[in-house]
Amino acid sequence: MIAAAATDLARENAGAVLFCAKGLCKNFGGVRAVRDVSFDIAPGIVFAVIGPNGAGKSTLLNLMSGIYQPDAGMMSLRGRDLVGMSAQHRVRHGLARTFQKIRLFKQLSALENVIAGYHTRHAIPAWQYVFHGAAFHDDARRCRDEAHELLDFIGLKHRAHIIAGSLAYGEQRLLEIARALATAPRLLMIDEPAAGLNPAEVAALLRRIASMRERGVTVLMVEHNMDLVMSVADRILVMDYGQQLFVGAPTEVQAHPDVITAYLGTNVL
Amino acid sequence: MSDISRLKNSRPALAEKSVTSRRLWFLVAAITIALLPLILPSSYWRTNLIVCAINVLLAIGLDFVLGYAGQLNIGQSAFYGIGAYTSTLLIMKLALPFWVAFALGVLVAGTAGALLSLFAVRLRGHYLAIASLGFAVITYQILLNWISLTQGPLGIYAIAPPPPIALPWLPRIVFTNLANLFYLTAGFALLVYFILDQWVRSPIGEALTAIREDELSAESLGIDVPKWKALAFAVSSAVAGAAGCFYASFVGTLVPDAFVITESFSILAMVIVGGMGTLIGPVFGAVLLTILPELLRGLGDLRLIVYGASVTLVVLFMPGGLAQAVHVIARRTFLAGAKIEIHS
Repeated sequence: MIAAAATDLARENAGAVLFCAKGLCKNFGGVRAVRDVSFDIAPGIVFAVIGPNGAGKSTLLNLMSGIYQPDAGMMSLRGRDLVGMSAQHRVRHGLARTFQKIRLFKQLSALENVIAGYHTRHAIPAWQYVFHGAAFHDDARRCRDEAHELLDFIGLKHRAHIIAGSLAYGEQRLLEIARALATAPRLLMIDEPAAGLNPAEVAALLRRIASMRERGVTVLMVEHNMDLVMSVADRILVMDYGQQLFVGAPTEVQAHPDVITAYLGTNVL
Repeated sequence: MSDISRLKNSRPALAEKSVTSRRLWFLVAAITIALLPLILPSSYWRTNLIVCAINVLLAIGLDFVLGYAGQLNIGQSAFYGIGAYTSTLLIMKLALPFWVAFALGVLVAGTAGALLSLFAVRLRGHYLAIASLGFAVITYQILLNWISLTQGPLGIYAIAPPPPIALPWLPRIVFTNLANLFYLTAGFALLVYFILDQWVRSPIGEALTAIREDELSAESLGIDVPKWKALAFAVSSAVAGAAGCFYASFVGTLVPDAFVITESFSILAMVIVGGMGTLIGPVFGAVLLTILPELLRGLGDLRLIVYGASVTLVVLFMPGGLAQAVHVIARRTFLAGAKIEIHS
């Protein structure tokens, strides 16, 4: 499935825009959580969204994944308008996400979690749901093999039959990424993947994200961990108070005066 | 407890269980159904067997929506009543053939369930339980007070059993015979069990379990949550409707009191005692909780206390119900066997 995404990627590179947002706004009562945010994501890159707490990063991600609908603005994925589309339909068009607060299916095994991510991609004739035939078993095998492959890719091969709720915290984060990858996304949105991980786990996570990019999955990452962002991101969107401060390459971001002000404050002297 | 936690931490994937052993179990079940009325020839026990079969239907139906989709539905008694009254009234007022009325009873109950699922899209957990409880109360009140249609508390009498089935080369199968009526209901329950078992082992089961575990996550994987909830509710209530049709034609009398809310709680107890989220558990839960009060009849008034205490004990000490207990015992035996092998 990742190989298929890679060939599509080559086609998309001509247009060079996978996801496009223009003038996105979202208010909660009087709070303007996201105001007038516009950016493009080119296929095959790692796009990071950073900003202080309460900057509107998670709200932006919820707007993109369809948990919230925007009050104004437009969004499109591969030219398809996303505004008004439900979260579950966006998955079918290639948008997948993980959650800041881990939301695995805790009572199910790691493997079953990943298999659940396969939901939109089953190919079984209706009658075979009652009488399991060849197509049913082929589908089940394909799906199980691919789930094992994804667990292997993410580094949880040996944990396939462990109940998700009893995995270590870092493993749970990785499993959520594997589950999202099972939907065969064009754009994978990861919300704070490094939160609660130790340095060794962060290093492992970096390698996974880099290899995801190599395998043709575009990644959007909301992250607090500056080192992680600077080492892996190709483009960075900086947000503060719901507004976008800056979009650019990591080196540009580090030098930008507004960004330094937002993160470190101004000199009071 | 340690055994339970060990069980919970690791288990083989569902798909790896062999298909052949499941076929074997279905054969065992079919033979058991065939033999039971012969082992228990008295009409008292045959009546109990039919009640068991009806309760098994109710329990596996509820388990589909409760144990798999995780929707706390306490309206099962209403769908049971809707199925019973719809089929009976269609036969009596419109003179429809039994099996047509049966199909319509199932359809009406299923549709009512799908409508109730509209609430389940907005309500979760206890709130859904209260809404479904309200639905059960309303349905009971309608059955009780719409006297021109249901004859209210006076009830409907002299409901005929299902019509005889005439098969070529075989004697006519008449359902005034309790053994035949048991074969009919138990055979139907086995059929429903087979279909539900196939479903829960398919992507349908995966989608429902995902919804049970975390709705938001399920949605983020492209699972159409309202659609699957509607399916779970519709199937569950249609099965309860079918149980109602059998109940009416078996008892021959319909009064609204057969479908009071406490009936919902009895069905709930069968599912919990048997083990939610497994299909085989509620089957044994239903049989146990139907037969146990009968076996305790000798204790007189004490039997309700014993009944209540045993249900409480199961809930306290076996949260996974009978299904889990069997699993733990099997695992313990297996572990003991493994140890002996190492020592020898």
